[in-house]
Order: sequence, then structure tokens, then C-alpha cells
Amino acid sequence: MNLEVTQEKALELSDVHVTIRGSHILQGVNFGIEPGVVTGLLGRNGVGKSTTLRSIVGLVPRVGSIKLFGKEISNLKAHEVIRSGVSFVPEDREIFSTLTVLENLKLAERDKQPNYDIVYNLFPELLKRKNQRAGTLSGGQQQMVAIARALLNNSNLLLVDEPTKGLAPRLVTEVADALEVAAKSATILLVEQNLPLVKRIAKNIIVMDQGVVVHSGSPMDLENADFAQRMLGVSGGSH
Amino acid sequence: MEIFITLFITGVGLGALYFLVAAGLSLIYGLMDVLNFAHGAFLTAGAYATWYFTTYVRADGSLTSYAISLLIAGLVGALFAVATEQILIKYLYNRHIDQALVTVGLGFVAASAYLGWFGTDPLVVLPPVDLYNVVQIGDAFVGLDRFLYIGVAAIVLLANFLMLRYTRIGLIIRAGVENRNMVTALGIDVRKAFTFVFFIGGFAAGLGGALATTYASGVGPTLGDSFLIYAFITVVIGGMGSVPGTAIAAVLVGTTQVLVNYYVQGLGDFVVVLLLALVLLVRPQGLLGKVVR
Amino acid sequence: MNLLPSKYRFVPVVLMLLAAVSVFTPVVDDPGLQQTFAVAFLFAALALTYDLLLGFTGLLSFGHSLFYAAGAYGAAYAMARWEWQIIPATIFALFFATAIALFTGATALRVKGIAFAMVTLAFAEAGHVIATLNLWGLSNGDITLQLRPESVPEFFLGVNNTRNLFLLSLITLAIIYLAVWWLTQSSVGRVWQALRENEERVSVLGLRPFSFKLIAFVLAGVMAAFVGVVAVIVTNNANPSMGSTGTTISLLLMVILGGIATRWGAVIGGVLYVVLSQRLTTLNTEGALSSFPEWIGGPMSEPAFILGVIFILVVMFSPGGIAGALYRLKMKFGSSVK
Repeated sequence: MNLEVTQEKALELSDVHVTIRGSHILQGVNFGIEPGVVTGLLGRNGVGKSTTLRSIVGLVPRVGSIKLFGKEISNLKAHEVIRSGVSFVPEDREIFSTLTVLENLKLAERDKQPNYDIVYNLFPELLKRKNQRAGTLSGGQQQMVAIARALLNNSNLLLVDEPTKGLAPRLVTEVADALEVAAKSATILLVEQNLPLVKRIAKNIIVMDQGVVVHSGSPMDLENADFAQRMLGVSGGSH
Repeated sequence: MEIFITLFITGVGLGALYFLVAAGLSLIYGLMDVLNFAHGAFLTAGAYATWYFTTYVRADGSLTSYAISLLIAGLVGALFAVATEQILIKYLYNRHIDQALVTVGLGFVAASAYLGWFGTDPLVVLPPVDLYNVVQIGDAFVGLDRFLYIGVAAIVLLANFLMLRYTRIGLIIRAGVENRNMVTALGIDVRKAFTFVFFIGGFAAGLGGALATTYASGVGPTLGDSFLIYAFITVVIGGMGSVPGTAIAAVLVGTTQVLVNYYVQGLGDFVVVLLLALVLLVRPQGLLGKVVR
Repeated sequence: MNLLPSKYRFVPVVLMLLAAVSVFTPVVDDPGLQQTFAVAFLFAALALTYDLLLGFTGLLSFGHSLFYAAGAYGAAYAMARWEWQIIPATIFALFFATAIALFTGATALRVKGIAFAMVTLAFAEAGHVIATLNLWGLSNGDITLQLRPESVPEFFLGVNNTRNLFLLSLITLAIIYLAVWWLTQSSVGRVWQALRENEERVSVLGLRPFSFKLIAFVLAGVMAAFVGVVAVIVTNNANPSMGSTGTTISLLLMVILGGIATRWGAVIGGVLYVVLSQRLTTLNTEGALSSFPEWIGGPMSEPAFILGVIFILVVMFSPGGIAGALYRLKMKFGSSVK
């Protein structure tokens, strides 16, 4: 770290620890992300990426400091963290399958004037199916609901956990488009295994291993096949 | 046949009382994973409130007084329930076993407090004489009070449905039953919904208590507990967290119990228990419920 | 004490206890008090068997009273109706309880957590209904099934022999304590405790959680049944309230009050519960509470009220119960006491 980094971070984690049922999952996570850009959070399965996001939201008991634009949020409850302008798109979507699409969106309303236009423009499909029970949607459509819930409100931080997991290539593009639109107005921390997508939209990357951050840099680093193999366990950088 | 009709409607009436207790239990469990063993105490509180009101405040035996006493009983149950949530349950957040244990303790304490205040013997509560009328259906005669239970339970069921379907708190409850954590991850303070379900659950139980004094011709310290076990069975059969499932199960349990008790002397309670075991084995999540964890 | 391997540390404790009791017993020459303690020891033993499920295996059963009642009724029935002697009647009762435990356990263990609690509650309630309503003429209902005097040795009969009943209960408690101690130290016991902490890890090891839980359920049931048999001798009858949910709930209170998963916590909880229940009642009849205003004096005269309040406080503020509180004290002052 050099001294020119004086700009306020959108999000800064210092020495964050999470222990769940006796397992020490996060073992002192430190990183900061720049405001206004997409930062990719990478790493092999089970190194604590999702737990990191959940600890930021406050869905898991955490110790350490988490600052959102300079304001300490690690002492807040989950709903208070969200209300201070954070939106969360969890892994596996976690949409409410017994509610309709519209009810899912309604539940997510935080702002006085939730932005349904942006949602329906990005995902016209959801407008058509707004009275359908969300549990009967396809996986891709469910992911749209999950992302739409986050885009409905003005957020200063968007936490997105593996949005393209299990999606067909066409839908991956659609999700990427949606994230790019979202990136215009919010800072995004994106957990993602799809490296081409990361390279396309992320400005910075953070790599985790075994509960700590082991690297932070630019997506260009992923071009180095040896780096990718060592850090992420994937063979071949970009090809 | 006449006897069957009389028994059947009596069974539905008993089921209606079970429903009033079970609806709150089901919502509380569905939303918070708290198995509320103190729910019988809420019912008993409502029953004693009815006794007090119709004995000391307005002992004129009129239908109006009775109606007011129902309302008061509901409120007493609701206040008791909210106090329970605010004083005990709230501080054991996410400690589900401890929450259940605390309600076990509270039920225990409440039953002995009632015993200390009101004695062992049931206190007689006299409903308005009009409720002793019988209604003729074909050749069968059915006590009017049975229809009162069914009517009150139907109103509660309808109110519940409207609340769950058309209000924001209802939306939050339905979502919370499915995935509580995700509700908070959308920026909603789900604990307000907890207090609310305790309020409505306590209200329904209190109402049930008032009506139970008519069904059982009085109130004793363990009135609630005797309903509680069958209300539990109703909830599990119907499916935790599903109010419609609870309603169906309540009718099933009430009619089975009354009919079998009549035709096969005394075996009704036993058969209901077997029914529960059967349902759980075939469909562990109950008739209409979320998966029981 | 350090001369013994840690495995056998309990031996001196038990010996000291037995010595204390044998010195103590002749002094307590009051049959009433002896009877109280006899019952207290039986409940302590019963609480231990419940702790085997709740504390050591993590199974919250609301139906444990079923096995206590099954043992009591099994033995009382064999003696009263078939005129069997106590030993064969006991063996019959244990087999009877085993069969019930196997059936209900195998059924209930198909579901977990609260649902398991509900199914066990329902089974126990079914048993309670049979006993209360005297279905199929099995139980004599509220008249209770009396102990047939001819079936038991004479030294267990009559007020003059209450001291022997006291000793019988104490020995029963010691047997159950040793059995639970041995079981929880055994390799099976370690699997139980692993199950309590994390079931998945156990299945990953290739062990079948269901089988181990069933073993715990049946063993706890059989031991409870044994206590039930002794209870018939001590209290002279088998009665429906033995099988009530209230009985299970009081076991729950004893274990939590004393301290879960500590063995002697259950013993302390059981003895305290029974003795307090009886002493508090005496206190009341002596008029000790007459100075209180009636609205608080009424409930205070009910031992269950005070015990229930203590129970709630323990759950909320002292999760380890009495044993846990003592342990914390020991930790705090441990260095100076050593």
C-alpha cells in the first residue's frame, strides 16, 4: 500500500473474524474497495467469500471493523446495515418461492419511490410474470428477481454473490448487462467464478484463500495463467 | 344419523376451539421457530378474564356482556403474549431451544399462579341462557354454542387470511415463514413481525379461552394445557406456519376425537395421537406446511 | 485422588457418598423424610436417564414419562394380574419398555428437532390416555394399579421398613449413575456427544446417526423403566400421572436446573426439585407466607411457581444450571483453590 491512497473507501474491512459453530471461517479479513467501481472477490470454493458478504450484511456474527464510507457498521443489525444503503443479492438467490414476483419486489422496497422502471426495462420478463409465484420461475428468472430486488432501491453499495451460477450463457450476458447498469450508480462487490465476466466488468480484484485476503490487484493479473492456477485453482487464464 | 350430525357439528365446534389456539402457535413457530408451550397459559388467562368480567363486572347474563367479555379475553391473551415476547423471548434471539424451554417454564409458572389465585376447582362461568338453545338440523339437535365457536373461528380465519394476503405486515410474515434471514437482508426489522404474531396469536388464544369456558362450563388452572396438547397435534398435522392447514387439521382432529370417543368408547384421544404419528411419517411437513426442521 | 487414572475418579466420590449415607441414615429416623428422599433419589435417577437424551445426545424428547410409566405398569401388572414375583415382573417390564422404546423411537427419530419433540409428546400422551381411561382394562385408571404385597420381599413393606425403601432408591440411583457414567464415557457415548454437536460430521465418518440415536433412546427408556419398577415398590402403586407430560416437563426442569450434560447436575436438580417441592409446601402450611399480600402469597404457596421462576431465570441467565454456575465459580477462584 502506498501513501497516495487517501481517497475514502466505499467499504473497508479490518481484521474481520467469523466463527460459525466452532469453525473459524474468516480469520482476519482486510481489504478496502474503491467507490464507484466493480470489485471482484475471487477464490476457490469454501475460502469464505460468501461468508465475507454475509458478515458485511450482518447475517453472521462477526468481530472486527467494517466501515461503509467511513461509518462503522459492524455493530449494526442486518436490517440496519441494509437500510444504510446496502443491497444484497445472495448466493442461490433466496427469493421467496411462495410469494409472487411482484410481492417479492414489494417486500424489497426501501425507498419512497422504488425504481420499477429500471427493473422492468432490464428484465421485461418480470413484468409479464409479475403475478406468478416466484417458486415456479426458471433459475434464470429467479436470479432476475434477486437482482431486481437489489436494483429497486438506490444503494451506495451492492453485494452480489455468484449471480451467474448455473445460468445458461445467454442469461450470463443478461446478468452482466444488468450489473453494468447498476454499476453506473453504485459501488459493487461481486463474488464470481466466471472469470471472463469479472474481466469484463471489474476494475479491481481481491483474492481470498482459507479465510484471509491473499491478493488484491487488477483483473489483468488473471491473464497470468500461473497466477490463476495458483490462486483460483483454474487452469489457463483467459482462453 | 341424527346422532352423527350432532356429534359431527360438536366435533367441528371443538375443532374451532383448537384452531383458535393452534393458529397462533402455527404462525409463531412458522415465523420464529419458537414452539410456544406458554400458549395454553394465554388461553387460560382469557378464560379467567371472562369469568371475572361476567361474574363481577357485568353479571347480567346478556349477550352484549358476553360479547364484551370475548373481546376482553382476547385482549388479555394478547397482552400476556406480547409481554412474553418482549420480556422473555426477545432476549433469547436465535436460541430456539432456550426459547422453547422458557415458554415451558412460563407455562409451568402460570399454571401454578392460577392455582394459587383461583384454586384447584374449576370456577363456573355461566354463558347467556340463549346459548343453551338448540338448533334443529333435520332430526338432529345441536347446541347453539357450537355454532358460536365455529363462527368466531371462521371470522378469525378470514381476518388472518386478509391480513396475510393484503397487508405489508402480512407480506413480511409470509416471507419470514419461508426465510427469516432474507427478510432482514432486505432491510426489514423482522422482530416487529415477531411481536405482531404474538399479539394476534395471544388474541386468538384468549378468545379461545373465553369460548372454552362455555364449552367446559367453567375454568380451572389447567384448562389451557388440556387444549394445548391437541392444539400442538393440530399444528403439526396442519403444517407449521400454514394457517389454512391448521384450519383443516383442527376440523379433522376435533371431529375424529368426538366421533371416535362416542362410537368406540374413550378411544378418540388415542386415535388422534395415532393420526399425528401417521401424518408425520407419511408427510413430515404436515398437510400444508413448510418443512419442519 | 490424583493416584487414580481420571477414568476412575468417580469411585471415591461414590464411596464417600455411600459412607455418608450409611452414617446419616440411622440419624434420619423419620419415615416421612426417608420417604421424601426415596422419591427424590428416584427422580434424580430418572432425570439422569433424561439427561442421557437431552444433554448427552441432544435429543429433546417430551415423551420420556412413557417409559417410566411403562416400567411401572409393566411390573405392577405382571405382579397384580399374573401374580408374578418381583424379579420376573421386573424382567418383563424391561422387555415391555424396550419394545415400546424401539417402536416409538424408530418412528419418532424419522423426524428431527421440534417435530421429534412433538411425536414423542404424542406417543407419551397416547400412553397417558390408556392409563387414565383404563383402556382395555389395563391400568385400573385413577384407582391406580396397586403393588401386590405377596410379590415383593417383606422388608420392603410397611412404614417400619421405609428405611429399606430409602436405601433401595439410593442404590437404584447409584446403579443408574454408574450406568450413565459408563455409557457416556464409552465409545458409543462419544458418538452421541458428537451427534449433539454436529450430526453431519458423524455421518461423514460413515456412522449412521439414526442407529446411535435409537440406541440412546432405547437405553434411556429402559433405564427409566427400571426406575419405574422401583417406584412401584417405593410408592406402592403405578398411577396415570407417572406417564403425564407434566412428569417429563419436571424432568426437563430438573436437568436444566441442575446443569445439563454434567450427570451430577441432573442428580442435584432431581433431589432439589423433589425436596423443595415438599419443603415449600410444608413452609406454606406452617403459615410462613401469611405475611405476604394475597396476590403474591397465593402463587408463592405453590412450589411449582417458585421452581418455575428459578427455571426461567436459569435458562435466561445461567445456561449451565447449578453445575454451570459452580463451574464458573471454580474457574474464577480456581487458581487459589487448586
